[in-house]
Parts: sequence; C-alpha cells; structure tokens
Amino acid sequence: MMLAKRADGFGLGAIAVASVCLVALGAGWFDGPLNALVVLVLVSVVLGVALIAAVGGPEARRLLAPYGLMKPGLLWMALFFLAPVWSLVRISLSTKESRFSVQYDFTWAFENYTRAFSDFGGQFQRAFLYSAIATVLTIAIGYPVAYVIAFRGGRFKNILLGLVVIPFFTSYLIRTIAWSTILADQGPIVSVLRTFGLVGVFEFLQIMENGKLLNTPAAVIGGLTYNFLPFMLLPIYVSLEKIDPNLVNAAMDLYSSPTEAFRKVVFPLSMPGVFAGTLLTFIPAAGDFVNAQFLGNPNTTMIGNSIQDQFLRQNNYPVASAMSTVLMVGITALVLIYTRFFGTEELA
Amino acid sequence: MKKRNNINQQRAGLSRREFLIRSGALGVAGVSLPALLAACGGGSSGGGNSLFFDNWPLYIDPSEDGAVGTVERFNAASGVEMTYTEAYNDNDEYFAKIQPLLGAGQRIEPDLIAPTFWMAGRLISLGWVDKLPLGQMSNLGNLEDNYVKPPWDPTGEFSLPWQAGTAGIAYNIDVTGREIKSTADLFDPAFKGKIGMLTEMRDTMGLILMSQGVDIATISSFDQAAASFDLLAKAKADGQIRAFTGNDYIDDLVSGNYAACVGWSGDVLQLGKDSPNIRFVVPEEGGTLWADVMVMPKGTENVDAVAKWLDFVYDPVEAAQITAYVQYFSPVKGVREEVAKIDPELAENPLVFPDTATASRLKSWANLSEDVDAQFADAFSGITGA
Repeated sequence: MMLAKRADGFGLGAIAVASVCLVALGAGWFDGPLNALVVLVLVSVVLGVALIAAVGGPEARRLLAPYGLMKPGLLWMALFFLAPVWSLVRISLSTKESRFSVQYDFTWAFENYTRAFSDFGGQFQRAFLYSAIATVLTIAIGYPVAYVIAFRGGRFKNILLGLVVIPFFTSYLIRTIAWSTILADQGPIVSVLRTFGLVGVFEFLQIMENGKLLNTPAAVIGGLTYNFLPFMLLPIYVSLEKIDPNLVNAAMDLYSSPTEAFRKVVFPLSMPGVFAGTLLTFIPAAGDFVNAQFLGNPNTTMIGNSIQDQFLRQNNYPVASAMSTVLMVGITALVLIYTRFFGTEELA
Repeated sequence: MKKRNNINQQRAGLSRREFLIRSGALGVAGVSLPALLAACGGGSSGGGNSLFFDNWPLYIDPSEDGAVGTVERFNAASGVEMTYTEAYNDNDEYFAKIQPLLGAGQRIEPDLIAPTFWMAGRLISLGWVDKLPLGQMSNLGNLEDNYVKPPWDPTGEFSLPWQAGTAGIAYNIDVTGREIKSTADLFDPAFKGKIGMLTEMRDTMGLILMSQGVDIATISSFDQAAASFDLLAKAKADGQIRAFTGNDYIDDLVSGNYAACVGWSGDVLQLGKDSPNIRFVVPEEGGTLWADVMVMPKGTENVDAVAKWLDFVYDPVEAAQITAYVQYFSPVKGVREEVAKIDPELAENPLVFPDTATASRLKSWANLSEDVDAQFADAFSGITGA
C-alpha cells in the first residue's frame, strides 16, 4: 500500500503541522473563528495519523512509531516553549499604543533593545558577575563536601546527603529572608565580628561596607551561593560516587602521588558532575532576583530585579521582554562557549 | 568497542542539547509566569448583600483584646457580608495587576479599593472606576471641607477619602544618637548605608523637593525637579541609601538596620506604642500630605453594600474607632471629639490632628499632567535601581 510506505513521511508532516498549530494557538496568531479552524487542523492531523496507524498494518505502525513517541515531548515544547518565546520576541519588538494601554503594536521597535542595553547594562553585568562568582564558590564549597561524602561517608552517606538537602525543604523565600535577620546590623554575625574587632579586616576584604554585612554585594553573592549549593553538590556527588576506587589504587600502583591520582583520575572523572552542576547553578542564578531584593542594596540590583520591576511595576512589557530575550540569548551564548571548552566529548 | 564509543558520544551530545533547551525553557518560564498569573486574577463574586474591600495593610482596627473591629461591627449592623483583605501594598504594583483586566473592559474582584489620591486620579481619568452611590448616603455631610471636590476628582463623584496622612522622617534614636529634624539629615554621611527611602515616588521626592525649596503644590514641569532627582541619584550611587521599600520599611527601622527613613505618620505612631525609640517627625522643610481614597472599580455589582459601608465609616463614632487604632488623619468631621472620649491624649497629638504649626509644614502634590507624571516615574524608577 502506498499509504503504508509513506507512513514515516506522514508522521513527520503531522508532527510539523501539529507543532505549528500549537504555536499559533499559544502565541495567539489569529483571532476568534480562525482559532477554531486551527484546532480543527490540529485534531484532524492527529486523528489522521492514528487512522493511518490503525489501517496501515504493522509496517506503517513500525514506521510511525518513532514519531508517535516524539510527539508528546515535541508538542509540549511547541506549546510551552516555542509559543512563549514567539510572544516574548514579538512583544520585545513592539510599542505600546499609550502609557496605560494593554495593546502592543508590532513595529520592529529595536529601540527596546537599545534601552535594555543602555539603561540596564550595569544590571546585566552584575547578574553575570555575581552568578559566576557564586558558581565558583559553590564548586569550592560543594566539591570537597561531595568528595568526603562519596569516599569517606561510609555508612553515614545517606544521613550526610540528607543533611545537605533538609534545609531546602523550607521555602526559598523564607530561607533568603532568614539570612537578612542573620546578617542584620544588630544580628549575631556582625556582633561577633565587632566584638573581635574584625570589622576592619572584612571591610578591607570588601566583604563589609560601612560596618554592615547585610545589603552588600557580598551578601547577595553569599545568598546565591547558599541557595544554589545543593544543585552543585548533588551532581558532583553522583559522578564521584560512580568512580571505581580501584582506579585510584591502580594510579597509586603506577607510582602516582595521592595528589596526582586525584588530578589525573578522580578529578577528570568527576567533570560531568561539575559541568552539570555549573549549568544548574549559573543559569538560574543569573536570572535570580530574590537574593538581590532581600540581601542587596540599590547598587547591587541584578537583571532579574529590573525585569521584574519593568513587568510588574512599570508595566513596560516591551522593554521587559527585550531584557528577557537578551538574558536568554546571553546565557545561551555563555553556556555554548562553556560547553565548547569544558563539556568534553568523553562525558557520558 | 569503537562503536560503543560513538554511541556514548551521541548521548553526550543529546544531553547537552537537552540542557540548552531546558535553559531556554527556564528563562521563558520566569518571564511568562507573572503574565499568566495576572491574567488569572479575575473572577466574579456574588451580587447582592456581599462586599469586598481590598485595602492597605494595617489600615483598620481589627477585633482583638476584647474590642470588636470595624468590619465585624459593620457586618452586624448592616447584615452585609464583607470580605476585607490587605493585598494593596504598593500603588504601581497594584495598578500593574489590575491594568490587564480593567484595560480590557473586564471587572476585577474587589468592589472597593483604596488607591492613593494620584493613582485614583489616574483611574478616574482612564474611566476605570464607577461613580460612588453618594446619593444613598446620609453621612456625606461629614466629609471634611478640604476633601470636597479635590484636585484628583474634580467633580467629587468617584472617590471618598479613607484616611489621609503625612510622609515625614521616621528614625530610630538608638541608632542615630540624636534627634532628627530635617530632610537634610537623610543625606548626612554619618548615616551612610543606613537610610531608607520609599518606592512611593511622591513621598520620597516630595520631601527632597521641599528641602530644595521647590513647592510641590504648584510644580508643573520636570525641569523644576531635575536637581532633586540628581541629589537622590548621587546619594544612591554613594551608597547612602540602604534600600527603597514599600510598607516593609518598618522591620528595618525596628531592627536598627535603618537609622532613619522616609515613613508614614500612622505607621510609626502605631509602632511607637511598643518601641519608644522609634520616632516620627515632620521635617522643618516640610512633609507631604496625601490621602488614600476609596473608589469602585468599573463594573462593581454590590453598589448598595458599598453605600452602606461608606455611610458606616463616615459616622464619626465609627470613624473614631479606626482613627484611634491607625492614627492617621481622619477625613470625617467630628472624629476628634469622639476620639477624645476614647483616648484624650491622642486627640491632642499634632501628628494625628495637626495643629496650625504642623499643618503649615504639610503640602500636597499638584496634579501632574500625564506626560510630566511619566517623566517623574521614569526618572524615579531609573534611580531606585530596579
């Protein structure tokens, strides 16, 4: 049967058409009655494929199977990823009819992007700088802890891992606000530092400003580090856990010093964990606004704060969308570069 | 063996791609969620004998310590079932929340909200509020004369003041170590990093403008304010300002993170009961006078219940209960006499019932044209850093 032989072509076509339909619905390409037509096309395409599978026999079903398996994921992405991105980019190139209007006219308004860079350049820089420092710190803190748990944890392994995770059963917001109490000017940490006369040292190290710890860049970076630590620690732990101790023994048998064994055997084998952890930490940290909101000051705002402010207070969706798009592209570019240099092919 | 390696390589590639896609999805989720939430805000409440008032936090006497709160007294007296919430935290934020609905001609859930006068003026000029049922009120005559047909509501048909008050300087004398009298003190380098400002542009800028000798009652162009904005921008860049906040400045003031901040009179007076080290002053150069006014968002169904409520809170006996608790200026005539019966000391407090000396230092903002308002808002949001 012709139909059966071309089944895979139909499968591919059906997925493509259905994806476009979902993007059209999600992004609101059409008004009113036309949407009903799109839904009709969507349903008939899906039913059509099901029909071909039903009447086409085993051969058709075999050819259609891969597309059928792909469909849920792909259609999900079309509706919840492609459609929003489409809307986002479209609004970022739009202008508002008037200050309080809820209508946006698509006018290729690239000045939104100019404004995103000119007015919020500092916030972009801080977002990337703070999240990069926080990522490095999470590696510095998380790696040794993961190492100890994986290799020296023994029967306490699960308990130790539990201890790492338990604080994170509390809400993200509560934990961050708790830090503002701990770091407050009359709070425990600053009081202790004052008692021991260490404020000057901390100010020299630029961790404190004017005798305060809260509402400084250090507090924001510290908050990010704290909040994203498990996202670094757990992947590193998983990759360390998998390492066969015999490999280290073999290295030692070949006259490796412990340091060399770590550098040449353990560390390279743990790279997939570091790589995954870095992505899981850096990406959300760069867009975070909670830490800068509660632990920062007006000179430490990150791009997430600006996006939130433009969306939810200033009602400036076009500029806010432009900033979001730039953030997304920026992060993607950084991740690509990172992948190119560190995401080596032996990652498996 | 070689083949196996290839498979591994392919897998590595796939998982990386997955990561990229996910990273993008994260970004979008962050962006589209608020819009979605805003879009879901609507809904309808039943008509008839119910009432939904969305007001600012800590702005009414609650039922506590054996006293029966205004909401409960109203419910008992009128038979109306009132829902009273405190979700109105910030004018700009609230506007952003209701804009997509009211702008698209849909109604919002509350029957009554209490925006600050300038925001009420904006809602009135956009045509997003209905006329209040003033004809059904018998206590309308109790409205203080200076709020009759105010600048933000020239016909006086759309709004009635809930409470008024002043923005001045709140300070923690344990931290400052001295009394604060002037707005200039907020820029004292001794308090570097310990000064708070409000995100409410008219209050923060109002104080600074007055300290620069600009009359906010007659201001009409951005040029008159440019120098004051520069002053604020410089203070922010120097690290003088710890944070720009909404109502949550209270916590930082009490905990000693702030030495001084721009604050609202009633808040600080309420606080002063428990913390005598927290003080409030109308600066020498002048404080701002504002009013939060009740308006009915367009499409409200429970108009009769709104009328009953307005009548209730414009009865001086009832209004005195609110004033005794919130300690703001009451827009209702005869409240002072009623408060004297409850708390004679409070009736003499110039920060609740301003004497002529205090009143002479209070100024209210001119009605800014929309373009000028936009310039002020842009300049201010540029400084607040967000």
